[in-house]
Amino acid sequence: MSTLFERIGGEKAVNAAVELFYRNLLSDGRVARFFDGVDMNEQIAKQKSFLTMAFGGPNNYTGVDMRNAHKRLLEKGLNDSHVDAVLENLDRTLRQLGVGEREVKEVCDLANSVRNDVLSRDQD
Amino acid sequence: MTRLTFGESAIDLEPAETVLEALERAGLDPPSGCRAGQCQTCLHRALEGTPPSAAQEGLSPGQKANGHFLACVCTPTADLVIVRPQHIGRNIDAEVRAIDNLAPDIVRLRLAADHFDYRPGQFLELIARDDLRRHYSLASHPCEDDFLELHIRLHENGQMSRHLRDELAVGQQLRIAGPAGACFYEGVDPDQPMALIGAGTGLAPLYGILRDALLRGHRGPIRLYHGARHASALYLRDELRSLADRESRFDYIPCALDPSAPSGGDVSALALSRETDFSGTAFFLCGGENLVNTLKRDIFLRGASLNQIHADAFAPARQYRPKMT
Repeated sequence: MSTLFERIGGEKAVNAAVELFYRNLLSDGRVARFFDGVDMNEQIAKQKSFLTMAFGGPNNYTGVDMRNAHKRLLEKGLNDSHVDAVLENLDRTLRQLGVGEREVKEVCDLANSVRNDVLSRDQD
Repeated sequence: MTRLTFGESAIDLEPAETVLEALERAGLDPPSGCRAGQCQTCLHRALEGTPPSAAQEGLSPGQKANGHFLACVCTPTADLVIVRPQHIGRNIDAEVRAIDNLAPDIVRLRLAADHFDYRPGQFLELIARDDLRRHYSLASHPCEDDFLELHIRLHENGQMSRHLRDELAVGQQLRIAGPAGACFYEGVDPDQPMALIGAGTGLAPLYGILRDALLRGHRGPIRLYHGARHASALYLRDELRSLADRESRFDYIPCALDPSAPSGGDVSALALSRETDFSGTAFFLCGGENLVNTLKRDIFLRGASLNQIHADAFAPARQYRPKMT
């Protein structure tokens, strides 16, 4: 059985998705303001790292960076509704790229698994 | 044995050890994130030695040419002298060759310096005194000019402005450091359209990049949009007009703020309305932070890939603070 990362197309798939995903986020009025004043090149690198993890690719995810990166945004009101919006955009991005139903679900589940880190909550 | 030099520290690398691991072992507290070559938190720059290409994957062509690399996936095979990515480089001596006015409050400063390798569009740090340092972009070309050319806007109460106006004279010595910056003609297809967009002294790097593109045989069309508050600040107008007359592939589009003009004379609005092929054009954006960052986002949202948007945003002058190595 091949891994999710292999089925979805590996690093090529990450590269194809990352700019489209970022563009979708910047165009979504629910979350766009959280990207104000952010260095776009640094942001795209971080999203690439996130998508690689969500696509089941090689990563050393510990949650520490995710928590640190979003602390500033919690003060700006970041909550579950925004995480939902980001996941919706991820779902949409994958469908725009023609990713299969099963893979879309697996990726969104993996992405959703970092929700508590993003919102600096203890694991349930 | 491969040796890594970082500031005052020399570290002998263990077999298969990454630069990040070596810096951590030496207690140098390097920044890091994903440790898998993606998030770029551990970005460093090699001043001497060549990092392996595997450690440069995913970086922009300009960053690669500058020796930037990712420490977490870098296992060097040759000695490296490295610094943090924002490090400006080594100090060298320079001499003032000429000071002229380009516009009512814009000065052209030409410096002579030995052994300063740069790409037009990069910037240097001008060090008038230990506590008076500013960054300026390079408008000159190393193959055509035997001087370094900077365009400097004078601010009434600016410290460097006062120094330039009242103290600096031809023949005087000062120090410069650099070059730095990844906004130059690199990673562009020779047949690709180029759009150079800037305001004020953002013209300095764009002028350098324009000449570099022409010298390197760029064949695609090049459009230069230069904005200014007043027409009097559209400096180099005559040079650029005659260049546009000689070079059919080059268009010069100056634009001064003017409420009666169709775009209000706003250079961003003008460029966004005239450009049509956002995914196929190489963009170069130079000028104040607001202009550059807003324009970068607008161009990206219209379909340009980030690695085709080369940008240099000028930060306002801050009180000098000693940099970390």
